[in-house]
This record gives sequence, C-alpha cells and structure tokens, in this order.
Amino acid sequence: MSDGIAGYGRVVLEVTRKDLLIELRSKHVLNTAVVFALLVVVIFAFSFARSFTDVGVVGSGALWIAFVFAGTFGVSQSAATEVEYAGLDGLLLVPVDRSAIYVGKVVSNTVFTTGVAFVTLCCTVVFLGFSVALETVPVLLVVFLLAAFGFTSTGVLIATITARARLRELLLPLLLVPLVVPVLLAGVELTRMLTEGHLSWQWFQLLLVYDGLLFLTGVATFEYVVEG
Amino acid sequence: MASITVDGVTKRLGSTIAVRNVSFAVEPGEHVGLFGPNGAGKTTLMQMLSSLSFPSEGQIRIGGSEVTPDATDVRRSLGVVGHRPMVYGTLTARENLRLHARLRGVDTDRVEAVLGQVNLRTRASTRVETFSHGMTKRLAIARSVLHDPTVLLLDEPYAGLDQRSAADLQAILEQFDDRTVVLATHDLQRGAADCDRALVLVDGVISRDVRIDGPDTDALETAYDRAIDPAGSR
Repeated sequence: MSDGIAGYGRVVLEVTRKDLLIELRSKHVLNTAVVFALLVVVIFAFSFARSFTDVGVVGSGALWIAFVFAGTFGVSQSAATEVEYAGLDGLLLVPVDRSAIYVGKVVSNTVFTTGVAFVTLCCTVVFLGFSVALETVPVLLVVFLLAAFGFTSTGVLIATITARARLRELLLPLLLVPLVVPVLLAGVELTRMLTEGHLSWQWFQLLLVYDGLLFLTGVATFEYVVEG
Repeated sequence: MASITVDGVTKRLGSTIAVRNVSFAVEPGEHVGLFGPNGAGKTTLMQMLSSLSFPSEGQIRIGGSEVTPDATDVRRSLGVVGHRPMVYGTLTARENLRLHARLRGVDTDRVEAVLGQVNLRTRASTRVETFSHGMTKRLAIARSVLHDPTVLLLDEPYAGLDQRSAADLQAILEQFDDRTVVLATHDLQRGAADCDRALVLVDGVISRDVRIDGPDTDALETAYDRAIDPAGSR
C-alpha cells in the first residue's frame, strides 16, 4: 500500500517536473501567454482607461480575460505536447493508477496559469494604474492559485479529450469555459472585493468547493478519457 | 502457463468491428508474428495487449493477470514499441529515458546501459526532435526495455526504415531474444526472420496460425496469400 502511495506520488512529481522542464525549454506557453496578457492590458488601456472612472473594473476585467485565454492556451499546449510523439501513451504504460498522470498535469498547468496571472497583474498595475494594496497581494495570489487549480482541473480533462480533434482550438474553449463559470465568477468577485479592501468568505468557500468538485471529477474520469 | 492468453476478444470502434472473436495463446519465450494487410486489426489488437485500450468482449491475460485499466502488474511486465515513440521531442534521449526510469522506480544507472544497447550513447544529450526516424525507433526500444520486461510488444518496428536502419534495428532486437515477443508487421521477410510462429489477421479475424521453421518464408507467404485472398484471384 505504501509502495502504491509512494509510486503515485512519484508519478505526480515526475509528470509535473517533466511538464515544467518542457515549458522552460520551449517557452511556448509562457511567451505566448505573456505577450497575449500584455496585448489585452494595452488594448484595455487604449480603449477603456479614459472612459471608465473605476480603474478597478477595467483592471479586473483585463486580468480575468487574460487568465481565461492564458489558461486555455496552457492546457491546450500541454495536451498537444502529449500527442506530438504519443508521450501520453508512454505515461499510460507506467504501472500506477492513471489518475496520477492527471494530477501531475493539473499541478504543472496550475503553476503556469498562476504565473501568467501574476505577470498580467503586474501589467495591469503598470499600464492601467490598477491599484492593489501590497498586503492584499498574497491573498490575490491565493485567489489566482485556487482559480487556476479549478480551471486546469477541468481544462486538462477537456484538452485531453479534444487533443486529437480537428477543431480542437474551437472545441476546447467552447466546452471548458461554461464549466468553469463559477470559478471565474468567484475570481472576479474576490478580485473586486480585494481592491475595495474587504473580503467575502462565501466566494472563497464557493471557489474551494467547486475546485474540489472539478478535481475529484477529473481524478475519477481521467481513466475513461484516455482509454483508446 | 501461457505468457499471453487472448480469449474470444472482440473490439468495436463505433459501428466498425476492428477485431472479431480472436483467441490465441503465446508460450513463455515464444516469438509470435502478427501479420496482415493494412486495416486488418493488428494495431487494435496490439493496443489491447498493451493495455492502452480494452476489449468490448472477451478477455486478455498476461502472466496470468487480466489486462484491465488498473492491472499495474501487467504493465510492469510489458515493454511496448508502438507506431509512435511515446517520448517527448523537447527532451534529450537521456532525459526521456531518465524520466521513464524514475516513473517506474528503475535505477537511473540502467539508462546508460540501455543507451549503449541501442547505440545511442553518443547522441544521448541531443533533443529527440532532431533525431532521424531510425534513431527515434531505437530510443523507443530503449524506453520499452528499460524496466527489463518479460513480454515485448512491437507494433510495426520496421515501418518507415530503410534497409540498413531496419537491419540495425533487427540486430538490436536480437539482444532481447529471451523475452516473449509479439511483433505486428506486414513485412513477411523480416517478420519471419524474427518469429517462431505467425498469426495472419484478416478483417479482424485470425485466419491462419503457422509455425515458422527457419528463414524460408515460402510456407508463410503461401499461408498469407491464401488468408488475404482465399479465392486466389491475385
């Protein structure tokens, strides 16, 4: 049993490490997502900054739009890497519960998405004048982390399903975004509250519960998703 | 006890029946060739043997254990070389093998030994995306034998290789002659040289089970021709 748990943990760790190494080397997700985040923020600065009196609304909007696109691109690219040389099949042959592969991919994609969200936050502060009190930044990072976790819990599953489809670029956001609406809602609301200087635990609870639900669904169904 | 037992296996892919009520057994150490034209169901059957897909009906047992999604002991005894290498292009050959060694809890020292066996030691630090087709195949073999499996499943290992690369690959595979091997191919010459027995699969059904004696492929070619064209119209 302990060997099983150790083996499971080892696969989670190795899959995460492998994904991070591939990303560090190729910089596919990082470069594209950061450039995209910058574009969103700059376009928002040109379009809305003068007409909107509430910078918080514009900043929060830019932040979460960039989050959705970066997150979607991240899980899509991660699934494409697995398909390119059939790397996922190699992982599926490892003698361990296959949900470990899913957990590893969720962890690595959560790291990417949270990182891109943090970069976007810096861009909104610089280009949009989005003001965040320094003491709320750690809480905001926790919000990003939780939202990224929920987003990628579903994203990894759907990206794996659509990875071999011809219209995967269209199918992935079409299937993914409606499923993560509660995550995005909670993220947007928590960001707004943090910039206004107060916090609602109800939104945190919603985010945590929905994250748990999405993650457990992924763990339970990944086996069937990858079956040929 | 047979090393592999396939009992009444059928695989449906949507409305198509890719493999139909197939049964056979492979004894320990036996080398079985799975021959058949394109679309005969060889890859579908190999995928089920590899535990990458599962039968719609029937049962597959490897080393006495049924091949099911959670059959980790089956996957421990299998080495699989598929159409595609099952590695990562952005990583080097050594990084790919080390990844698989760590995933399987194999000592990473074994990576260097296996790299030597497949003649890739000098290119071990090169990214796989720059490899030729033959080198990628050799890396796939290295990955498949890293954990010292007792059963090797080779799906079209010679596909897309020139004569010399195929001969090199064949020499590499001879090092693993002591394992139970199932080799799917439509290359009768090379398949016959590697195997003791041939199963000819046509339209998802095993239509011939032929013992191969030596390098003479006449009997196999006759059986193969009769299996794919019973009316003898060719």
